[in-house]
Amino acid sequence: MNRIVIGPFNRVEGDLEVTLDVESGIVRQARVTAPLYRGFEQLLIGRPAEDALAIAPRICGICSVSQSLAAAAMLRAAQNLEAAPNGLLTTNIAHAAENIADHLTHFYVFFMPDFARASYAARSWHPAIERRFKAMSGESLREALPARARLLETMGLIAGKWPHSLAFRPGGVTRAIDLSGQMRLIALLAEFRGFVERALFAAPIETVIELASCEALEAFVEGAGAAGDFAALLRIARDLKLEEMGRGPGLLMSSGAYLGPEGHLFPAGLFNVADGEARALPFDAIREDVSHAWMRDTASDPANAETIPDMRREDAYSFAKAPRLDGRPVEVGALARQGVAGHPLIKDLLRRAGATNVLARIVARLLEIALLTKAAETWTRSLQLNDRFCAHDAPLQNGAVVGFVEAARGTLGHWASIRDRQILRYQIIAPTTWNFSPRDANGTPGPLEFALEGLEVGGDGASNIAVQHIVRSFDPCMVCTAH
Amino acid sequence: MAAHETFYDVIRRQGVTRRSFTKFCSLTAASLGLGSSAATAMAKALETNPRVPVIWMHGLECTCCSESFIRSAHPLVKDVVLSMISLDYDDTIMAAAGHQAEAILEETKEKYKGKYILAVEGNPPLNEGGMFCIDGGKPFVEKLKWMAEDAYAIIAWGACASWGCVQAAKPNPTQATPIDKVITNKPIIKVPGCPPIAEVMTGVVTFITTFGRLPELDRQGRPKMFYSQRIHDKCYRRPHFDAGQFVEEWDDEAARKGYCLYKMGCKGPTTYNACSTVRWNGGVSFPIQSGHGCIGCSEEGFWDKGPFYERLSNIKQFGIEHNADEVGLAAVGVVGAAVAAHAAVTAVKRITTKRDSKES
Repeated sequence: MNRIVIGPFNRVEGDLEVTLDVESGIVRQARVTAPLYRGFEQLLIGRPAEDALAIAPRICGICSVSQSLAAAAMLRAAQNLEAAPNGLLTTNIAHAAENIADHLTHFYVFFMPDFARASYAARSWHPAIERRFKAMSGESLREALPARARLLETMGLIAGKWPHSLAFRPGGVTRAIDLSGQMRLIALLAEFRGFVERALFAAPIETVIELASCEALEAFVEGAGAAGDFAALLRIARDLKLEEMGRGPGLLMSSGAYLGPEGHLFPAGLFNVADGEARALPFDAIREDVSHAWMRDTASDPANAETIPDMRREDAYSFAKAPRLDGRPVEVGALARQGVAGHPLIKDLLRRAGATNVLARIVARLLEIALLTKAAETWTRSLQLNDRFCAHDAPLQNGAVVGFVEAARGTLGHWASIRDRQILRYQIIAPTTWNFSPRDANGTPGPLEFALEGLEVGGDGASNIAVQHIVRSFDPCMVCTAH
Repeated sequence: MAAHETFYDVIRRQGVTRRSFTKFCSLTAASLGLGSSAATAMAKALETNPRVPVIWMHGLECTCCSESFIRSAHPLVKDVVLSMISLDYDDTIMAAAGHQAEAILEETKEKYKGKYILAVEGNPPLNEGGMFCIDGGKPFVEKLKWMAEDAYAIIAWGACASWGCVQAAKPNPTQATPIDKVITNKPIIKVPGCPPIAEVMTGVVTFITTFGRLPELDRQGRPKMFYSQRIHDKCYRRPHFDAGQFVEEWDDEAARKGYCLYKMGCKGPTTYNACSTVRWNGGVSFPIQSGHGCIGCSEEGFWDKGPFYERLSNIKQFGIEHNADEVGLAAVGVVGAAVAAHAAVTAVKRITTKRDSKES
């Protein structure tokens, strides 16, 4: 048995370490370590509950709006408040901008540059890919980064500043959009649509949204979308069999994304890859296991749990707790959201492969870029400029509450207990806590650990490039994982 | 043929034209508050001085500083700065990984001894022997000290590296510590804010790498060119403060009219930063413009100075801005004088006494 430690990982958000036990060239066991801990749950205790809106977003500078919105949802529950419809729509526009930006960064800055590596030099597609995607110098970066920055000006208009915006409240947003603001939002979204339709898809986003099967996708690669970066990825995927790489344990979940006046844009639910069916998500079946985390034993129910480090715990190898749903590991993210929402292309990709995989994760993210660009346009046009953007706050009630939101990388939950307007207890489970969880007391590995086990690395060891593809296909956000 | 590689060589190799280069020099000189002759000096320095490597390290942080930096407004500035400093080591965006990445650090340390710039995002936790932030199997604090040894100067990005930020909030579970408490023998320039404004970051990097020295710093170690103004003094809502017109509730009639957010907890009167002039996301807006008060995220200890949604009220006496404020108040005649005098004084007092005594 040969033990390989890979880290620090580049081009992931935050610090990550992966340990692989390799026997006869095959990964027998993988251990995923979140090596960074700051103690947000401890330091939120005793503060005014509202101050979570200023502290919690600082967990992460990449998904700060998601953290703000989870805290706002938690406070909304504690106030038993209904948000102003305009507030929900405006929030959704900003949240979509953040999540699109994340998906875009993942594709152009984190994921694609791996195919520009020298180890693929012999492939026919390599010269073109190297020119376009090489880390830090590829020509696509000069288009994608400015397009992304420009899109995030919507965030400037709505939230003043990003990351760590302050405009999001339980009742809506502090910024009432006026007519000129609405016009500017429409213009910015049109400009962004221009970029994705030119460079990313080389086709109208409606065409991408309407792709309904694997066959339609194949036809798109050779036809309408052939010139786009999306098609470039799909051709590589075919050559390298990305569909067979990084197969997940099979259970997918979404807590419901983009809450509007008429409910969620993407519904909440639990999707089982084995039978291709979505069902209701039993939110109260979420538990945390600390058997392999540098954390003290407390309640396993996040509503009652505390987070206190214990560096001397035997068998521990990560600061992340292991969240489980009814005792099972769950994969979250764009793929889970679109599986639960029943998008026909995603369902067909999962059916064909029989499991989640590297390709399906990437396709789901790019599909979401198309879906969200379209949705943001609709939300912007639906604003009723003379109506309220923020409902009046109601008194905070004592008791235990929870706020859920779907961040770019998946389900994010904030559990809190409030007494006399102060935080008594706070517990956060972030998307990458689910995906990169350590094993639990039964020895069941987390989704990434599962996806790496059985991988053939041959004699490559740490330099095996499939490991890089698999790890990055989850788009980890390590600063959120253990916070 | 130059014996060493200059910034100009690198910039041109990245495909930036001569014309863009000169434009960059004048824009940057202007944004740094320097005269037009500085643009020429800058161009000359970039053409002749050897390129200085910048090493960007991450401790306990949230990556918000990097996120802000890569979105610096002027596309030209971003292009040039990124190719100029070419971030020899930055694990968020670089191509190298693992041992290869560590090798870059060693090589820079040796080859550019005493010359490279160390930019630090985040801070080291000292509890449990530093094990709350493990980087390449070692506590971050060790790596930080090791790279600091041979650096020319250190940039402390953001509230984390400068002051500690939220992870240092009571009870500071990991004993997160600002870097100037760990490295005491090197010049450190603090660029606070959570995150700092992109244009402030690119401005600081450009100044140091171009002129090979630090810009003028204030007593707290911050570059004067960006941190000598109070948010409150340059705030476009200031006339409403002086007139005693305040927002009382989120999105009320007063909010729609753009009245002052002081009563909603705005910390603009005690905060020194360039937000109300440079603004955010390409100069589009800043928190106060979005209808929310400033929380003072560039000030030391802002995280423990909540509640964030209650007005500043820790000062009862009158100060230098008494007259101006009182005139406005007299006209409206509603708001108590204590409110008016508030924070102008607080800020002046804090800024001058900070070194001697810590406020509670």
